[in-house]
Amino acid sequence: MKRNKIRARKSSKIIGRTNKVRIRKLPTGVRGLDDIVGGGLPEFSFNIIAGAPGCGKTTLAHQIMFANATPQKPGLYFTILGEPAIKILRYQQQYSFFDLAKVGKAIRFINLSELVLENDVGGVLEEIAREVQASNSSLVVMDSFHSMVRKAFGAGRETDLQSFIQRLAVLLTSLEATTFLVGEYAEGEMRDNPIFTVADGLFWLSQNVERNSVVRKLQVMKLRGQGSVPGLHTVRITEDGLQAFPRTLGMDGQKARPLRRRRLSIGISELDNMMGGGLLEGDSVLISGPSGTGKSAMAAHFLAAGLRCGEAAIAAIFEERPRSYMARARTFGLDLQTPQKKGTFEILHQHPLDISVDETMQEILDAVKRLNAKRLVIDSLVGFEMTLAPGFREDFRESLYRMMAALTGAGVTVLTTIEIEDTFTAMPASQYTISFLTDDIIRLRYVEIDGQLRRVMVVIKMRRSSHSKDIREYLVTGEGVVVIGPRHTDYAGLTTGIPERIRHLQQKAPEPK
Amino acid sequence: MPKEFARRLLAHEVASARPAEANDSTAFHVCEKLRPSLSKYLGVDGFRSVLARALARAGAEIPWMRVLHIKADGSLEGLGELKRKLDSSSVAEGEIALVEQLLELLVIFIGRALTLELLHDIWPRFDGQKFLKEAEHYEEK
Repeated sequence: MKRNKIRARKSSKIIGRTNKVRIRKLPTGVRGLDDIVGGGLPEFSFNIIAGAPGCGKTTLAHQIMFANATPQKPGLYFTILGEPAIKILRYQQQYSFFDLAKVGKAIRFINLSELVLENDVGGVLEEIAREVQASNSSLVVMDSFHSMVRKAFGAGRETDLQSFIQRLAVLLTSLEATTFLVGEYAEGEMRDNPIFTVADGLFWLSQNVERNSVVRKLQVMKLRGQGSVPGLHTVRITEDGLQAFPRTLGMDGQKARPLRRRRLSIGISELDNMMGGGLLEGDSVLISGPSGTGKSAMAAHFLAAGLRCGEAAIAAIFEERPRSYMARARTFGLDLQTPQKKGTFEILHQHPLDISVDETMQEILDAVKRLNAKRLVIDSLVGFEMTLAPGFREDFRESLYRMMAALTGAGVTVLTTIEIEDTFTAMPASQYTISFLTDDIIRLRYVEIDGQLRRVMVVIKMRRSSHSKDIREYLVTGEGVVVIGPRHTDYAGLTTGIPERIRHLQQKAPEPK
Repeated sequence: MPKEFARRLLAHEVASARPAEANDSTAFHVCEKLRPSLSKYLGVDGFRSVLARALARAGAEIPWMRVLHIKADGSLEGLGELKRKLDSSSVAEGEIALVEQLLELLVIFIGRALTLELLHDIWPRFDGQKFLKEAEHYEEK
């Protein structure tokens, strides 16, 4: 009886395993794209790579081909009335993924233009079938499929086109080939076009020119059988070919931050006291204040405090140059050089004006992973935004939120600085509405006291922690020591920057609790 | 691609030619062997264009080559006839120039590595890579 039950359980497990077809996923060969398509491209799928000229369609098709084709399971690249193979070979070999040794053996190029020009679509199907069968190909690319369709099926032949697409899809799938049709399509063509109905996967590439920068995007509009990350993903074409920057920033499945979080020193003991004993591990902290209030100095203290405890750290700087950043830390007596040499500290310096927010974030995330960093400084948000192409600035807040969530979720403590202009009527924390993405906010500002422009700080917010509400005066000395004075109980209106003396101090203000 | 490379390839083709082909032009045979492979890449029209360009470049060096024609299918016409009219050294010189120019164009368009790969597929026993390495070695010396 017991044995029968075990047998039944075993057989149900086997049936359970075999009932569903398991679709193998092929690597795309494009960094970041596997994450977007849900792990890889479904084997034997019939796909379209579409978009306007210059978006990287042919390069994408090549990367997929070079990542998967082998001499045993070769890939066939059919060129049809588009870019001739001689040009494809000439330009594509400039990319690092282009393995010359694969050409002719694992990847073969075949020109079908003449057959198409003869208006012989039946012949085209036969030729494709013959070549795929003869070479036992597992990957087929047809470039440009749109040109072929336009030539072979003019207006009024939609039924013939539908039948051709159907036959092509059935043929190539039954020959166990994963297919990519490359074509220059406009978004309006998607409606009522049988190609898009038959396709299992639809990858849409686009590019927008904004002022003097080009922003390329990729969207998985359709992918049968598996989940993909929706929305537009930034794409960049470099000497390595396409690189995609998934909106998830590749942080899915990262280790979550510990439930019981330690208090971390910010490197300034009085400020630690004001923050209830220090920052909570995995928090994001925003230090905001006008120019010259010591935001970067505080960030350097934060980095050095972590490094002294053996925590690896990253500084992503956007305004200063690494050399001057290091030199200033040195004058404060903070040693960032030794950890840098040991490989536990890295400065990322960004200054071009046409990068995407996702690219920068990917670089930061790569560095965090590489060093297993526990602390990250972004100095500053205004500088960060300035490095971005105008088209990416709209996404800045959303992307920043995603990165912060991903990093702090993985237990990295992030300190961000932001320069704001002091007004003498209010005390905003930042010009962006970003308080939702920061756990803690420290506000620095200038105040006029006794004919001097002095500096004060206040901890505005700390999530899940009590903190001092005191407005404290501080100094950034040449040695970098931030001395925090007692709160001014003899002044009112410190937040406006022009306080009024309400009484002469009789006794020392109590220290924060 | 150096002239000597074309000379070696033609010599290799002569050595491996069947007796029935002995009286044909060797350059014709080289072009004929390249034609199917290159037509797959470029299409017949594409191959014709490249061969026509090679012929024009060779014609600038050796004027009698200008009388040669390329047929619609991409095959070379007139070389056999010229062979009967001209002395053998002139023909050999013209053939070398044509093959040299054709290979030179391939190197310009698709690079040396892919050109050698293509030649290796057609003439597996012709070690072009080895020859070029040797040539470079002597040049360096």
